[in-house]
Amino acid sequence: MKSEIAELVKGVGGLVTLPDVFIRINQLVEDPNSSATDIAKVVGQDPSFTVRLLRVANSSFYGFSSTIDTVSKAVTVIGTSQIRSLALATSVASSFDGLPNTLVSMEHFWRHSLYCALVARNLAKRARRCDPDAVFTAALLHDIGELVIFNRMPQQAKDALLLVLDSADELPVYQAEQQIMGFDHAEVGGELARQWKLPPMLEECVEFHHDVRDGLRFQREVALVHIANILALMAEIHSLDPSDVSPIDPRAWAIVGLNADDVIEETVSEVQEEIAEAEKLFLGK
Amino acid sequence: MAALPTSRLPLSLPGFEHVKRAWNEAYGAYSARLNPGEYYVTKNDEAIYTTLGSCISACIRDRVSGIGGMNHFMLPATVDEGGWKAAGLGSATRYGNFAMEHLINEIMKNGGIRKNLEVKLFGGGRIIANMTDVGMRNIEFARDYIATEGLRVTSEDMGDVFPRMVVYFPVSGKVRVKRLRSLHNNTIVEQETQYLHTIEKKPVSGDIELF
Repeated sequence: MKSEIAELVKGVGGLVTLPDVFIRINQLVEDPNSSATDIAKVVGQDPSFTVRLLRVANSSFYGFSSTIDTVSKAVTVIGTSQIRSLALATSVASSFDGLPNTLVSMEHFWRHSLYCALVARNLAKRARRCDPDAVFTAALLHDIGELVIFNRMPQQAKDALLLVLDSADELPVYQAEQQIMGFDHAEVGGELARQWKLPPMLEECVEFHHDVRDGLRFQREVALVHIANILALMAEIHSLDPSDVSPIDPRAWAIVGLNADDVIEETVSEVQEEIAEAEKLFLGK
Repeated sequence: MAALPTSRLPLSLPGFEHVKRAWNEAYGAYSARLNPGEYYVTKNDEAIYTTLGSCISACIRDRVSGIGGMNHFMLPATVDEGGWKAAGLGSATRYGNFAMEHLINEIMKNGGIRKNLEVKLFGGGRIIANMTDVGMRNIEFARDYIATEGLRVTSEDMGDVFPRMVVYFPVSGKVRVKRLRSLHNNTIVEQETQYLHTIEKKPVSGDIELF
């Protein structure tokens, strides 16, 4: 099964590529000898990312009190590691343009991902245990395996969705995929993240967002994305009724140190306020 | 692992043997799955469920005897400006009338009494952006039909942008409506479009052919 997933992901190698600016920033962030100036230089060499970065930095997404008008100021104020997160977040949707499918519109797909990202960031700020920008990006990526499956295995992917509808929407999509193909989109996404050499935190969040198991290196981040995925569905269908969406693993709440009853309603309503602007900033609308 | 059903599959009423039924663990009941264009009537304590995009499902039952059922229909998109009403008894509304009359007639044929009928209406979502609102046309038809027939609507959830899963228990009259995430939009649109093509290819030429 593992090799089947690896082959599947290799098959899309040339169709989905990470933006150069992210790869270069990623290398610098990992390199202890690099400085914020080096990172600002790399950012400045990519005019289109520079524009996106300054737009995000000056939006209500960050809510900084002063205007951020230069790359070096953005790097100082936002932080180098966060700039890396943003470099991926602002370009990942367009990276997948080469992988079209007929099962879900890209607009709907990325809106769900963005809802998930906004919820994860919101919860990370409340829990004060994870970097909000890093989990934002992890959550934005959580379903990328779905795009691979939908493009490469359209018939099985469709059968899985039909199985979900036939179950009166009781069977979660990932379980339907396991029944039809023997693996699911989380495993495929995890493999894609590995082949891309994404930071290990992102890889774990993508691979285990349906499976908050023990022994993970980034269990808190994974648990956050797991919860965020379900709250994103609530935000999308405008419902606070837990029986309208898939269940949240109760261990996830304990791991992130939040109480479901305290945060669900507020978080869902806050991200519904944010989604329109976030779509402009991150999905280029 | 699926739980074992607590009873054997109950017999369906004559004429509904083809409708797919299976044990549903979550609802603890046998459940009949309706595709677009189908309907199902039962006296058994079982569920009927379907997914709706811009289509409508009417859930109708005799609230005293508990016999009832569900249909699933839409009007073909053959009507030009002026809306379907302008077409009067044209072919578009015939499909709606056909679906509603079949359901009501079958309930009455099996012992339902007209004055006891309660109606619940669902669907008509606008799940494709930037298109004529076919959902709204279907909603208008359903409301108009029920008013003309002097029937009573006790509950409804129609319109908006969501596809829906509707689960109906005719014996108790209970309904569970679940909005579905947009991931399912295209699959549901495809099912409804296939149904639309079958009815558009077979235009109804006269009432006689309906029954």
